[in-house]
Amino acid sequence: MKKYKIFLTLLVIFFGILVISPVYFMVKISISQPQDIFTQHPTFLIHNTTAKWWRWIFSTKEVWAPFIKSLEVATLTALFSLAIAVPGSYAISRLPLKVRYPLVLGLFFTRMFPEVGIALPISVNFIKWGLLDSVLGLVIAHMIRILPLVTWILVGTFETVPKVLEEASSIDGCSRLGTLRRIVIPLAAPGIAVGTIFAWLGSWEEFTYAVYLTLAKRTLPLQVFYYINRGNWFLTATYATLTAIPVVIITYAMQKYLRAGYMAGAVKG
Amino acid sequence: MSFVSFSFFLKRISKNKFEIILILPLALFVFGFTIGPIIQAIMMSFEGTFGGNFPTLASYSYIVHHHYFKAALFNTIFITGVGLTLELIFGMILALILSEKFFGRGIFRAVMLLPLGIPTIVSASNMAFIFSTQGFLNELLYRIGLIEVPIDWRVGTIKPLMTIVVADMWKVTPLVMLILLAGLESIDKQLYEAAKVDGAGRWHRFRHITLPLLKPYITMALVIRGIDAFRIFELPLVMAGRHVPVMSSYAYFEYIERNNPYTSAAGATILLIMIIIAISVYLKAVGTEEVTR
Repeated sequence: MKKYKIFLTLLVIFFGILVISPVYFMVKISISQPQDIFTQHPTFLIHNTTAKWWRWIFSTKEVWAPFIKSLEVATLTALFSLAIAVPGSYAISRLPLKVRYPLVLGLFFTRMFPEVGIALPISVNFIKWGLLDSVLGLVIAHMIRILPLVTWILVGTFETVPKVLEEASSIDGCSRLGTLRRIVIPLAAPGIAVGTIFAWLGSWEEFTYAVYLTLAKRTLPLQVFYYINRGNWFLTATYATLTAIPVVIITYAMQKYLRAGYMAGAVKG
Repeated sequence: MSFVSFSFFLKRISKNKFEIILILPLALFVFGFTIGPIIQAIMMSFEGTFGGNFPTLASYSYIVHHHYFKAALFNTIFITGVGLTLELIFGMILALILSEKFFGRGIFRAVMLLPLGIPTIVSASNMAFIFSTQGFLNELLYRIGLIEVPIDWRVGTIKPLMTIVVADMWKVTPLVMLILLAGLESIDKQLYEAAKVDGAGRWHRFRHITLPLLKPYITMALVIRGIDAFRIFELPLVMAGRHVPVMSSYAYFEYIERNNPYTSAAGATILLIMIIIAISVYLKAVGTEEVTR
């Protein structure tokens, strides 16, 4: 038994180091002097720190355009997804099981399609419609992957709102829209909040559609891609850290919602 | 007869008018921006700049003779097969560790969830730092005395593929772990007690209680992860670029760099077919009732 405990402890430490080290190296590079990184033997601990990479992206103001674009796109994607998914998923949740089940499964299976196969015709069409490089274009593209996920979460939420409450409200003379607004949506608010946050995150970190639909006005994930292709590790690491910060914070804040059912749609390898 | 069913249909519609109005924007969006583009991409794959009228296989015959496409096909299958196997094994080990009670379990769980909070493009650049010739892995191997000269992880066939598998594992094993952990928590602890009384050892309890009861969760993890592994894009693009194409990055290079949407569409269509075949073969093998619970 003692041996087993030691073995378990070693395993825990091993996996812990394995998981933390890539993130540690990213932060380390973003605050390191070149002599610690571009050498035959890079150091593991942090020796010569500098804030110059962080200062550089802010002082040249280069960071603001991608930061604001990412922020705009993520926020609009979350809001638009909500506007479409809230009524849609409420209606789906009130359909008979025979219809509801294939609908939800069908939505889930849209995730099966390769994104490069959807992004290609979207990009070809957006060139014609003048939506390339625009915020609106990227928002629409992001909704392609995010809308099914939000609907998936919200159908589950609305199913938990008892139908009896709606019947009571309609007997009291409330219209169906009024019932939806006054009774159902307030009761479903926590689920709607979770869906909104996942939608925002999914758009903030999205890369594939962004790379197909962007010429010059890059988002933060594209900024990471741009600098790694140019071989600038320091700015890559700085932008990577900046992109990851809100995602890490929100992921930990939402830990208890990291359930298999939600995550099925949320995480992409 | 058909009139009767039509009027019945109309009645159904007017009865559910409210629901239909609510669902309409969602339906229009999914048809306009997901189903529509997919059909458009499949149609595009049968057009081509190589001459020939609409239904032509020119793009397909061009890409299947392209050695670069064959490499992409092999790489995608390799990454999916090896990656899924390893992710399942490690996800299982981690889930089993977390189902034990030990000091620091809460912290360990929190640490294991870290990759879920790292965007894929960021984990790709992190792994590029680690697997670079002057990167941290070579330095570690050098310091513990395993190598004298740094290894170039980008050359050869298997080496760069393994770096991509490791990067993918880092990012998604926590997800597999969460799914399997949910499964482990659903198993009745009394079963283990009973087996213990009957003298079953640790391995036997795992083999004859845990594994069979986890089967639906394993299926779920395999299907979800399998789809994503076939579509892997950012990691190979950032870590190996043109050296190691996969199906998605092949379609990307054909369109973005070689400016040929038709061959790109053909590549994406083949990828879609691969995914459909893999899932139906798998579901046929294990039975569908396990996924649809």
